[in-house]
Amino acid sequence: MFHLPRRSMREDFPDRLRFLRDESKFAQGKIAFLQYLSFAVLIFLAGGYWNLQIRNEELYSLKAERNRIKSLPIPAPRGKILDRDKRVIVDNHSSFSVLLSRESLKEEHLKPIADGLGLDYDELLAQLKRHRSRPKYQAMIIKEELTPAEIAFVESHRDPDTYPELELIHTERRVYPQNGFGAHLIGYVGEVSDSELNLADFAKYEQGDLVGKTGIERQYNDILTGIDGQRQVLVDNKGNERRILGLKPAVPGQSIELTIDLDIQAVMELAMDGRRGGAVALDPRNGEVLAMVSRPAFDLARLSSRDRNRQWRDIFTNPDKPLLNRAIQAQLAPGSTFKPIVALAALEGGEVTNDTNFNCGGGLNFFGRYFHCHNKRGHGATTLKKALAQSCDVYFYNVGNRIGIDQIARYAEVSGFGSRTGIDLPAEAEGTLPSSKWKVRTLREKWYGGDTVSVAIGQGYLTATPIQLAHAIGGLSIGGIWHTPHLLRNGNAPLKPARKTDLNLENVRLVIDGMCEVVNGWGTAANSRIPGVEMCGKTGTAQTASNEYQKARNLRLKDNAWFVAFAPRINPEIAVAVLFEEGEHGNLAGTIARDVVKAFFDKKSRRELSQSKSGDLTASLDSAPSPRSLN
Amino acid sequence: MDGLLGRYRNLSVLVIVIMAQLVLLAVQVKNNQDVRLIRVWAVTAITPLARVLEGIRANTFGLAGEYWDLLEVRSRNQSMKSDLDRLKLENQYLKAELATAKRIEAMAGFVQRSPNKTIGARIIGTGAGMNSKVVFIDRGSTAGVLKGMAVITPDGIVGKVTASYPTGSQVMLITDPTFACGVLSDKSRIHGTARGQGNNQILIDYIQNEQTVLVGEIFYTSGDDRIFPKGLPVGPVRVARQGKLFKEIYVSPAAFDRGLEEVLVVLEGVHLPIPDLASQSSSSAEAKLMPPPEADAAAAPVDASPRPASGQGFATDADRLLQRYRSLGEQQGVSYGNGGRLPNFNAPAVPRTSAPKASAVAPSPNITPPSTPRAPNP
Repeated sequence: MFHLPRRSMREDFPDRLRFLRDESKFAQGKIAFLQYLSFAVLIFLAGGYWNLQIRNEELYSLKAERNRIKSLPIPAPRGKILDRDKRVIVDNHSSFSVLLSRESLKEEHLKPIADGLGLDYDELLAQLKRHRSRPKYQAMIIKEELTPAEIAFVESHRDPDTYPELELIHTERRVYPQNGFGAHLIGYVGEVSDSELNLADFAKYEQGDLVGKTGIERQYNDILTGIDGQRQVLVDNKGNERRILGLKPAVPGQSIELTIDLDIQAVMELAMDGRRGGAVALDPRNGEVLAMVSRPAFDLARLSSRDRNRQWRDIFTNPDKPLLNRAIQAQLAPGSTFKPIVALAALEGGEVTNDTNFNCGGGLNFFGRYFHCHNKRGHGATTLKKALAQSCDVYFYNVGNRIGIDQIARYAEVSGFGSRTGIDLPAEAEGTLPSSKWKVRTLREKWYGGDTVSVAIGQGYLTATPIQLAHAIGGLSIGGIWHTPHLLRNGNAPLKPARKTDLNLENVRLVIDGMCEVVNGWGTAANSRIPGVEMCGKTGTAQTASNEYQKARNLRLKDNAWFVAFAPRINPEIAVAVLFEEGEHGNLAGTIARDVVKAFFDKKSRRELSQSKSGDLTASLDSAPSPRSLN
Repeated sequence: MDGLLGRYRNLSVLVIVIMAQLVLLAVQVKNNQDVRLIRVWAVTAITPLARVLEGIRANTFGLAGEYWDLLEVRSRNQSMKSDLDRLKLENQYLKAELATAKRIEAMAGFVQRSPNKTIGARIIGTGAGMNSKVVFIDRGSTAGVLKGMAVITPDGIVGKVTASYPTGSQVMLITDPTFACGVLSDKSRIHGTARGQGNNQILIDYIQNEQTVLVGEIFYTSGDDRIFPKGLPVGPVRVARQGKLFKEIYVSPAAFDRGLEEVLVVLEGVHLPIPDLASQSSSSAEAKLMPPPEADAAAAPVDASPRPASGQGFATDADRLLQRYRSLGEQQGVSYGNGGRLPNFNAPAVPRTSAPKASAVAPSPNITPPSTPRAPNP
């Protein structure tokens, strides 16, 4: 056995050992580094896992679900609006609208989208701002009624690489009569505004919903509005639709039938064409409104859009106020059309009889002030009938002075002045019915006798709307029963109870006699006579400002022309009130009423003839034998 | 006998041989021939064997020679085949070069004629998606190609740039299911939207069933989409038939007829008028029309009553009635509301051709005043 000398390896291979030592150190360092790196990555992944699966699990699962499922609204079509013969006044038609998905919206896409669709960029931003309160997954309609060019733009840009936030949907759009036909009566639809959302009527709506804004569209918005449907589709990672997951069809709104008669409405529209004012025709027996026109009008199609473009703004800023429904909102002095009410008040109070006579010399002094008659030469000895027929102002100055303002006010109030008629339209004006109490309450002034004299001829503080006049005269014509004017024809549903007043029918007859003389005798509206129809009426020529006011400002304002009428004299079927602003004389409004009443009775003869021949109430008049015109 | 012959077999054989010798000599003398019989016999005996041997020899050598020849032929054949393949390749290459030259020439001509500012690009790859129809071109943002630009050939539109990289771009082809562009027909000038279907057909959508589109009619870009300039060919109509909501019109993309290798990217587009029918008769687009599909019911013209696309032309019974009463007033010389002559609303109305078209609602009674003689007016 032998032993090798104990020399350390360090002594034998010093360089090699140094190398081995370094190598091991290097490997250890690398391993440690990798360990730390792995640990850091693990921590990072665990953090991500925590964030995704625990901390914001609901948010991300919802996002993932939404990424997979896309919900598209199916807007419900609004109900149609029909006339009393079930003819279509407002219809719907198919169209395309473009939706903007706010969920995937990129701000930088808005400008080119607005350019491509011809939208006002600022308005689009404002629209987006208005929709901020709604959940982001609810897309908003940014343009309706797309043209082929706009459809091509949307279709060619809604791919996942360009503007995936665009979506094309099929919608039903309103078809309104053109050129402002029935514009104020029908009303328009638009996006619900912030102020409307605070109203109880619109509590169930959200920003961006379409609601009726005015007219029938507003009044019966709940009936006309349907329930929107929804289409859920499965989309791939690029947003392409792969499968329809669910379909909830839209429930259309209900159609409503109005009391409007399109034949009468059409004639009234044509007769009021080119004028400014309002007109109403109603059936005094039940309060059904047969026609209602206001001029100037506006194009409903322009307003019934989400796009608040320049044309939209033009209508709102038009100084002629085309949005004002003059038939129910124009509160103007009714002029001499108020005289029948004054006459009734005087007769009912017993201060005046049929034989009461006042001399008209062209004017008279009351309380130190000279009040003119419209006939400067005077009417001479004037009775009630003559006073009504020739609209003698002096006669009514005397009557007013005799009976006082409070008696006038009492009977005017009974006739519906000074309060809304209750017609089923929004924003009806109530006019002004002055009385001694009213003046103290409103103006903090004492009532003067001179005020009564002015009111007696329908001037002064008194203001009324055309619907109030038609309502008042219609109720008077049937002996003191005032039915609430209404537009909804609700079948056999009970009407609102009529307001009845025990009037002396002999007094009513005297007033009616006087009104019949206006048209059929030697009255102020002889040009409105209709052979075969005994139409009774009353002209009115009302100043829009006092003479003193005009003189002081060197103005020469034209008078407003009024006319109220009913026909026939016995058992009236139609009552009409016409306001022709700046018409200068009431008989010029009378010719408008004449044509409306003529249309009513011509149609009646057609219908009667059709019924007698066929026994069918709805037989087409195309096949009806020849009726005679009521000429 | 047998025993005797058997017992004296050797002698017998000798005798038989001598006798046979003598007979043969006799025969030879009788025949008087120079050739000895032995020779004849030898030759006769040897000749068949020699013939067989010679045949074997000859066949063997011939086969071997032919085999060598065959080998040589095969090798020559292979050589010729390789020559042929090479020549074929060369031929194909030259043909391709020629086609390329022709395409480039056509493209150059198109670029010269077209007011659009374009840049040429070569297709270098296709997309990998199952349904997507995308290609990659060798021009990118450094060459001015941007996302959203139109890609065309002289034959028609190809697609649009959906992504632009520095040295290349991705182009969505018009056959991609998500592709769409605005189009216009050359004959009836009807606007529609072309949509890719994922196959070699393009659907022209949003054209009313009432409108007439004929097979063979060519659709051009309308410019409505703001991507393609107006007036570029899209393709001829292959199928046109009534659809559920809109007409079903299928067009074969004109740009794909000759394959796609080089394309033009429109850097700045200029709208052009749609070529009129007279000029189309000699145009290349017309020449490339394919035969219409057989037994297509929609080949016959459909109802051509025009229907407005927007709500502007729609009307209700109210409009129709207003028009009637207006006509009535005009006929009678009555100005409504102005006094004077009383209107007779029961007089017959002469229908005006310019009356607005009523919406699709059931006709109601009391719309038309009856056709009766006019009542006398005072």
